[in-house]
Amino acid sequence: MDIAQAIVLALQAWGIIGAAVAAVFLTIGIDRIDEDARGAYVFRPLLIPGVLMIWPLVLWRWWQIEAEAAPWAARYRPVRASYGAAVIAMSLGIVVIVGLGLSVRQTWPADAAPVQLSAGDSQ
Amino acid sequence: MSVKYTPVQWNANKWFYDAIMLVGVAAFLWIFLYLTPEALAHERPINPQIHNARAFGACAFVMLTVILCIGPLARLDKRFLPLLYNRRHFGVMTTFVALTHSGYILNWYFNFSSSDKVVGLLYANISFGQLAGFPFEVFGIFALICLLILATTSHDFWLKFLTPPVWKRLHYLIYAAYFAVAAHISLGILQDQQNHVFSALFLGGAGAVIVLHLAAWWSERAEDGTAVGGDWVTVADASAFREGHAKITRLPNGDRVAVFLMEGQLSAIANACAHQNGPLGEGKIIDCLVTCPWHGFQYDVRTGRSPAPFTEKVPTYSLRLSGTMIEVNADAHPPGTYVDPLTLPTPEPDTAEAPA
Repeated sequence: MDIAQAIVLALQAWGIIGAAVAAVFLTIGIDRIDEDARGAYVFRPLLIPGVLMIWPLVLWRWWQIEAEAAPWAARYRPVRASYGAAVIAMSLGIVVIVGLGLSVRQTWPADAAPVQLSAGDSQ
Repeated sequence: MSVKYTPVQWNANKWFYDAIMLVGVAAFLWIFLYLTPEALAHERPINPQIHNARAFGACAFVMLTVILCIGPLARLDKRFLPLLYNRRHFGVMTTFVALTHSGYILNWYFNFSSSDKVVGLLYANISFGQLAGFPFEVFGIFALICLLILATTSHDFWLKFLTPPVWKRLHYLIYAAYFAVAAHISLGILQDQQNHVFSALFLGGAGAVIVLHLAAWWSERAEDGTAVGGDWVTVADASAFREGHAKITRLPNGDRVAVFLMEGQLSAIANACAHQNGPLGEGKIIDCLVTCPWHGFQYDVRTGRSPAPFTEKVPTYSLRLSGTMIEVNADAHPPGTYVDPLTLPTPEPDTAEAPA
């Protein structure tokens, strides 16, 4: 119970910090770093849930843009190189977890004859 | 795009796409809730709340499966590209369906918990040391968090703010989410499913996702492997280019370049669209502009710039002719840099026969 409560408390703290970041970023920061956002206000509430979820990433990118720390070419770098690794990991993971799930399933197939697990005279 | 942001960019195609999607969701829920309720049955009778939770959960799985099939299908066969259009709305709708599923679970199983519902959910089963009876809920929670991140960062602002590579990497969470959903189902409902309609749906759906993605990855690998000579990389024979279309080549650093033939002259730009890294080289030139096949962003292939009022830019590359072979310099010019097109020596370059 303590761990579960600690996780929920941590999530609440994450959300409170995220709300503070959202308040500052969506009123001040966004106008400084994105010219397309200047004068556009209706869409900003839509961004609040995203800031709540990934506020550390928001702070990092905000700093990067303000400090002009990112090389221009990085924006155009394709990420397809890691697509294969992601797909293979997902595929293997699904095959393994489905296999494990079916292996511990206790009532499958449904019409199988019952087997006595102990004190039997033969296998 | 590079105009003032709006909450949602609607057009007639998106309305049509979303309408079909909503009808599909409604039809799925109606079928599983009223037409064939036994498809999600339990060996013991279940109440309407649990049945609703299962119907929405099954619907979220099917929607996620369809979303994950669209990408590789479009890469394998261009006829599926229209499905890729507006896929983000599909993802947001899936997140809402998954949230409804979790809401039914929380508000039924944990409604009368003496503690907070979420604390109850996390604490109700902590048998992490065994496979049978494993707390499969954690996989569902993880998948839901992933879906929430993807849905809440789906606005165009996030693409521009995070940059396409970071945004794309973040959205690779979809693969982790799908694995987590598969684990959630395998160690959850599949353990007790008596009617195997959903079991077949699950195994068939997950199998289709795996096969399609592996096939798409394999076909992409077959395109790699370009000859390299110093700073210059061989693209293709001059006679191989078709008017209005591109040849795509891969540079030693992994970047892809699209070399277009326009009015007898060749120009090279980065293959990755500034919007979402869509494959510009698969687009066709119309009125001096190439259109990204993913979301319709356009660029002048000589400058790498979008037409006004848009401000997107992509890097450009220098080209040279070596014998009959076209070569591209691996060093990119900054985005939006004009590069003199390379005039082809043959008067009609798109004729079938190569020069001797």
